[in-house]
Amino acid sequence: MTNLNTVDPAAVAGEAKIENSDVVITKSSIILRRFLRNKTAVVGLVIFLALTLFSFMGGLFTSWDKERIDPFNIGMPPSAEHLLGTSQAGIDLYALTVEGTRISILIGLVVGLVSVLIAAVYGCTMAYFGGKVDKVMLFILEALIMMPALLVVAVATSGGGNGLQKSLPSWLLLIIVLLVFSWMGTARLIRSLSMSLMTRDFVKAAQYMGIPPRRIVWRHLVPNIGSLLVLDITRGITGAILAEVAFSFIGIGIKVPDVSLGVLIGQATSQVSTFPWMFWVPLTVMFLLTGSLAMMNDGLRDAFDPSSSSVGRAKRSDPGKGKSGKTPTTAGKKTT
Amino acid sequence: MIRYLAKRALTYVFMIFLTTTAGYFLAVNTLQPALLEQERIPRPTPEQVANSFRLKGLDPDLSPWERYVGWLTAIVTRWDWGRSPNGAFINAEFGDRVWISTRLFLASIVLTLIIGVALGVYTAARQYRASDRVITSYSYLVYIVPAPIAYFLVQLGAININETVGERIFFVTGISTPGLDGGGWAQFVDMLAHYAVPTFAITIVGWGTYQIAQRQYLLDNVNADFVRTARAKGLTRNQAISRHALRVSFIPVAQSIAFTIPAIFAGGFFAEKIFAWHGVGSWSIDAIALQDVNAATATLAYGSVIFAIGAILADFATTLVDPRVRVQ
Amino acid sequence: MSHEMTAGTESADLSAELSAIERLHVAGLHAAGDAPADAVLSVRDLNVRFNTENGVVHAVRGIDFDLRAGKTLGIVGESGSGKSVTSMAIMGLLPPTAEITGSVRLQGKELLGLSDKAMCQYRGNDIAMVFQDPLSSLTPVYTVGNQIIEALTVHNPTMSKQAKEARAVELLGMVGIPSPKDRIKAFPHEFSGGMRQRVMIAIAIANNPRVLIADEPTTALDVTIQAQVLEVLHAAQEETGAAVVMITHDLGVVAGMADDIMVMYAGKPVETGSVDDIYYNPRMPYTMGLLGAVPRVDAAEKSSLVPIEGIPPNLIHPPTGCSFAPRCPLASDACLHGEPELRPVTGASLNGGLPHRAACLKTGSLGPDVDVREVFRAPAVPVSHFDAIPRAERRTVLELRDVRKHFPLMKGALIKRRIGTVKAVDGLSFDIREGECFSIVGESGCGKTTTLLEIMEFHKDQDGEVVIGGLSNKEASDAKTKSAMRKELQMVFQDPTGALDPRFTVFEVLSEPLENAGMAKPQIRKRIMELMELVGLQPDHVNRFPNQFSGGQRQRIGIARALAVNPKLVVLDEPVSALDVSVQAGVINLLDQLRAELGLSYLMVAHDLSVVRHVSNRVAVMYLGKIVEIGDVDSVFDNPRHPYTRALLSAIPVPDPVLERTRERIILQGDLPSPLEAPTGCNFATRCPVFVALPPAKQEKCLSLEPGLATVAETTGAGHPFPAAPIDQQFACFYPDGELDADMLVVHETN
Repeated sequence: MTNLNTVDPAAVAGEAKIENSDVVITKSSIILRRFLRNKTAVVGLVIFLALTLFSFMGGLFTSWDKERIDPFNIGMPPSAEHLLGTSQAGIDLYALTVEGTRISILIGLVVGLVSVLIAAVYGCTMAYFGGKVDKVMLFILEALIMMPALLVVAVATSGGGNGLQKSLPSWLLLIIVLLVFSWMGTARLIRSLSMSLMTRDFVKAAQYMGIPPRRIVWRHLVPNIGSLLVLDITRGITGAILAEVAFSFIGIGIKVPDVSLGVLIGQATSQVSTFPWMFWVPLTVMFLLTGSLAMMNDGLRDAFDPSSSSVGRAKRSDPGKGKSGKTPTTAGKKTT
Repeated sequence: MIRYLAKRALTYVFMIFLTTTAGYFLAVNTLQPALLEQERIPRPTPEQVANSFRLKGLDPDLSPWERYVGWLTAIVTRWDWGRSPNGAFINAEFGDRVWISTRLFLASIVLTLIIGVALGVYTAARQYRASDRVITSYSYLVYIVPAPIAYFLVQLGAININETVGERIFFVTGISTPGLDGGGWAQFVDMLAHYAVPTFAITIVGWGTYQIAQRQYLLDNVNADFVRTARAKGLTRNQAISRHALRVSFIPVAQSIAFTIPAIFAGGFFAEKIFAWHGVGSWSIDAIALQDVNAATATLAYGSVIFAIGAILADFATTLVDPRVRVQ
Repeated sequence: MSHEMTAGTESADLSAELSAIERLHVAGLHAAGDAPADAVLSVRDLNVRFNTENGVVHAVRGIDFDLRAGKTLGIVGESGSGKSVTSMAIMGLLPPTAEITGSVRLQGKELLGLSDKAMCQYRGNDIAMVFQDPLSSLTPVYTVGNQIIEALTVHNPTMSKQAKEARAVELLGMVGIPSPKDRIKAFPHEFSGGMRQRVMIAIAIANNPRVLIADEPTTALDVTIQAQVLEVLHAAQEETGAAVVMITHDLGVVAGMADDIMVMYAGKPVETGSVDDIYYNPRMPYTMGLLGAVPRVDAAEKSSLVPIEGIPPNLIHPPTGCSFAPRCPLASDACLHGEPELRPVTGASLNGGLPHRAACLKTGSLGPDVDVREVFRAPAVPVSHFDAIPRAERRTVLELRDVRKHFPLMKGALIKRRIGTVKAVDGLSFDIREGECFSIVGESGCGKTTTLLEIMEFHKDQDGEVVIGGLSNKEASDAKTKSAMRKELQMVFQDPTGALDPRFTVFEVLSEPLENAGMAKPQIRKRIMELMELVGLQPDHVNRFPNQFSGGQRQRIGIARALAVNPKLVVLDEPVSALDVSVQAGVINLLDQLRAELGLSYLMVAHDLSVVRHVSNRVAVMYLGKIVEIGDVDSVFDNPRHPYTRALLSAIPVPDPVLERTRERIILQGDLPSPLEAPTGCNFATRCPVFVALPPAKQEKCLSLEPGLATVAETTGAGHPFPAAPIDQQFACFYPDGELDADMLVVHETN
C-alpha cells in the first residue's frame, strides 16, 4: 500500500497554516509545541531548571558555606539554624548540597554535550570515509568499550602521583575520564544512522547535483540525525551524573575536599541508620535530577518523532555483521 | 561456525593485548608508589625505597618502556604478573579472588539474561496491560538509579528483613562464614546464603535493559511477514509468535550481550565493595589506592578477558540462533 | 495502444431482459445459503472496518463472489483499493481490532466469526495463501524444509517423520527447485527471491488446499522469474485442482490466468465479469482508464497513455456519491448523489462464471466502441522537432566507450586474497543523441544500475571513457569540468519518497541545485514557479513538505529538480516502477511531453519492458554486464534476434486474454547466474533455450568463443527475409533465431 493513501487529513488541515507563514519557523515551533503539550516533559524541564537555579543561587539563602565548620552542631538533624542539618564534620548540609548539586550538574552538562559532539564527529567520519578508516576507527572504538572504565577512573583519580592530579581538581579529572569512556555507544549509533542516510536517494541526488560534501553533511545529514543528537545529550547528561554518583559513592571519582552528590551520599552510607538525613537529602536531589532528565527525554522523543520510527529503525540497521547499532543497554548507565 | 568463532576469539585476544598495554602505560605514568612509601614511619630514604622497588621489579628509575618490556617478558615466559609495592605476588593474590569474582559475575550474567529475556517476552505478550506497565516502568526506573546505590538499598532491605524476622537469613557482607565446619551440604547452604543478596542486587538492577530490548524487538516482529506466513499455515497466533517471532527477535538481544558485560562487570566491582567481598574488584580498588601498578594492570586485563568471554558468548548465541551469520 | 478491444462479446444489447432470479443473483441479494453448489468459496457482503487514530476506515465495502473449483478469480485494483484486506479477511489474518461483517463460506462452512484456533483447522489445509514479498515472508532462522514440514505437521499430526520429509522433497521438486533433496536443508537467505516464492507456493500447496489465494505473488520479481513463478502457480493449480484467487495490480498478469475478474476501487467492486467481458467490453470508466493506462509491449504504434487524474478517496468519510466521480471525466450531477450499486450489464452473457456487472450510471452508454482516450482526454502524442532530423545528424550528448566496472571479490580472515572478479559492467559502449530516449533493460543484477552509477561517477580513474556533452572523464575531471558536466546531466530516482529530503519543503528541494549553480534569489523564485508549472504542479504548493504529496506528485517534484539547471540529458532510474498504474500513465505522458518540448535526451533504466517500449527510441538489452542486443526499439521488440531478448519479451504478460492464452512463452531455467568469473564463451549459454537445442558441434562454438555485437545486415545473409537496408539493431549471438528447446516453451491450452 504505497503512496496514494498517504495524504492524511492532519497534513491537509495543517497546510493552510504552512502556506501563510515561514516554514522554518513553523518546523521548530511544531517541535516546541509538541514538547510543551507533553506534561511530563514540561514538569521535568521545570524541575531541572529549578535545580540548576538552586545550585547557583541556593548559596545566597544561607550564611553557612561548605567550608565553615559549626563546632556546636556536629551531626545534627535539620533545624532552624541548619535547614538540612549538618554533617559529621559539622558543615551545613544545605550548603554542601548546593555545592554538590552544582558539581554534579556541571559534570553532567559538560560530559553530556562534549561526548555527543565527539560521538557525532567520530561517527560521521567513520560513515563518511568508510572502508579502511572505518575499520580502524571501529576497532579503536570497540577496544575502548572493552576497557573497564571503572579501573581507569580508579587509576586516574587515585591521586598519588604526578603533576596531572595535583594541578587539576578531581571533578575536572573525572570529567576528562568520563568523556573518554562515554561517547562510544552514541558514536556507533550515529555511524549506522549516517551510513543508512548516505545510501538514501536524496543524499545521492545532492551529490549528483554537484553539491559540495560539506554542504551535504550540513544540510542533509545533520538535520536528519539532529533529533537523535538532542536525545543523546539528555541521555548523556543522565549517564554522566549517574556515573559520578556511582564512582564517588565507592570512593573513586570525586575526592574530598571536593563535594558532589555522590560524595555526600557515599559519606553518609556508613551511618545511615544514625544520621538518615545525610543520606536521603542528597539522594533525593539526585533522583530529582536524573528523574527530571528522564521525563524531558521522553517528551523530546515524542516532540521530534511522533512515531519514533526513525530512531527505532536505526537501532536495527546493519544486521548480520556482528553486533549492530546501539545496544539499548548502556544508554542510561554509563557505569562501564 | 567453529572457524568463525575462532576468528572472533583471535580478534579479542589482540584487543585484550592492546587494552592491557594501554592500561599498563597509563598506570605506570600515573601511579607513584614511591610517594606513599615516604609517608611511612620511620620514613625510608629514597635510596631504600628505590632499592626495595628494584628487588620487586618496580624500579622507578627505568623508563616506562623498559619496565613494560620486563613486565611483558615475565608474563609471556613465566606467567608472572609481577609484585605489589608491599612485596606480595600478584599471581598469588589473584588466585582465589578470581574464582570468587568470576562465579559472581557469571551467575549474575546468566540470571540477568534469563530473567530479562523472560520478562521481555512476558510483557510483550501483555502489551499495555497492568503487568506490562508495572514491569516496564520498573525497568525504566532502574535507568535513573546508580548501581551502587541500588545495591546499598538492597543491602539495607536485607538487613531490615533480618531484623524483622529476628534471625540472620541473609548475609549482607562477606563471602562465607569463617570457621564453619560441617559437611559439604552445610558449606553449600552457607555459600548460597552469602551469594543470595549480591547476586540478587546485581540481577534486579541488570535485567531492565534486557527486558526493554527483548520486549521491543519481539513487538517489532509480532506482525512480521513470516509470522503471517506461519499463521497462514495453520498455526495459531500464539504458536506462530513463540515458534517464529521469538527466535528472530532474540538475535539483536544476543548481539547486545557483549555490550552489557562491562556494565555487569562494573556492577560486580561495586557489589564487592558494598558487600565487603574479597574478590578481584574490591582488592584491586584498594590496590590502586596503594599505587600498585601491576595489580591495576592485572585487573584491567581480567576485565578485558571477562568482556571477551561475554563477547564470544554473544557471538556464539548469535550464530546459534541466526543461520545467516554461520555462512560468513 | 489497445485499439484492439475486439468484439470479444457482442455489443451491448440494451433491451435484453434477465430473469428475476438471475437479477437477484447478480445483484448479490440472495441469502448466504444459496451459493451455487459447486462453489468452494462464497463471499457475501464482506465489510471490513479499521479503527485508526483519524477515525474508522471502511476498507472493504461489500464484496460478493463465488469461486468454483479449478477456476481462477483475479482481483484487480490499485494500492489502497482494499484487495489485500479482502484476502486477509477471508484468511482470518486481520488483527482482532478489525471489524469484519458479512459471510465467508468455504465449502458451505462459515468462516467468519471463528476463533483463531478454530480457523487454524482450515488455514493451510483447505485454504492457503501466497504472499507478496518472498524475501520477508519466510522465517530467516529455519530451513526451508523445516518450514514446509511445519505446514504438514500442523494438519497431519500422525504423519511419520520420513513421510513428511519425503513429501517436502516432492513439493520442492514440484515447484521447480533443482536437487530438492539437498536444498531442503538450505536456509531462506541462501535462496533468491524467485526461489523463495517457489518455497512459499510449496508451503501453500502442501496440504492440497481447495482454495489458494495469491496476493501479488510476482510483484517483487523480475519478468523472467515472474514468468517462472506464474508457471509454477499454474502447475500447482492443475496438480491440486484448487480454486485460485489472484490479487494483483497488473492487468497483464491476470489476463492469461484468470477466468473471472473483479475490479476494485475504494474498497468496493466496481466491475465484475468474465475476463473477456472486462478486457474487451469494460463498462465502468475506471476499468477503462486502468486498461488504457498500461503501455503495451506488443504495440508499435505510439499513442498517449490514459492518465487518471486525482487520487482515490479517503475511506474515513463514507462516500456520498460514486467514489470514482471526482476523477471521472464522465461524471455528472447524478453521480454525486448516492453511490451506484453493481448492476448487471445489459446484454451480457451468463456463462457460469461471474456475471458482468458494473457500478456506474453510464454503463449503458459505454461499450467496446467507446474510445477510452477520448473519454479521458488523453493528450496528443507530443512531437519533438528532433524527430524529423535523422539520428546520425544529431549531436551526441552521451557516449560510453568500453566502460568496465569490475569488483574484486576478497576472502580471508586476516590476509585478504582475491578469489575472483565480479564483472558488473564489462565493456559497454553506446551513445545517446539529442532528443532521443535510450533505455537499458535486463534482469536485476545484469549491471544496468552499475552502468548508471558509473556515468554519474564521472571520474578519471574509471576503466573506459564517458563523454557527456563533449566533456570526457579522461581529459579533465577537476571540479570545474565536473560541475559543467552536472549541468548537462541530471537524474530522477526510482523511489520518489526516498529521493526527497523529508525535512525540505518543495521550495528548498528545488532551490538547492539553483543556489549551487550560483543563481540569484529573485531568479530562483521565478525559475521554481516555472518548474512547478512545467511538471504540472500548483505553484502555490511550494511551501509544502514532500509527505503532503501523493507518490505521483512527488515524482513530478523529482523531475522538476532534475530539470532545474536545464540539463541536456536526464537519467531516469526506474522512474515509474514505484507508482500505481493510473499515476504511472500521467508521469510517462509528462516525460514524453518534456522530451518533445525541451528537446531533452533520456537515459532510462527500467525492468518494465512495456514502459520502455512506450517511452524509448532505442534500447539495449543487458545480460551479465554486457549488451547482448541493441538497436531501435521497434526493431528489437518486434524482431528480437538474441535468444535472451526473445525470452525476456516472451515473459511479459500482455493485458489481452486471447493473446495470452495462445501465446507461446519461453520460460528460462533458473536464476541469473552469479557474475563471478563469467565463462569463456557466451555468457548466456547456461540458460539459453537455443543452445540446448543445438547439435554438440555448434554448442562447442558457444562455449569457446564469445560472440561480439554484430549488425543485422552482416549476419542475416542467406535464408532470412530481411531487407538489405541497414537496420539499427545489433546483437551478440552466433545462432540468432535458432530453434528453441521444446522443454522451455510453454503454451497454455485455451480453457
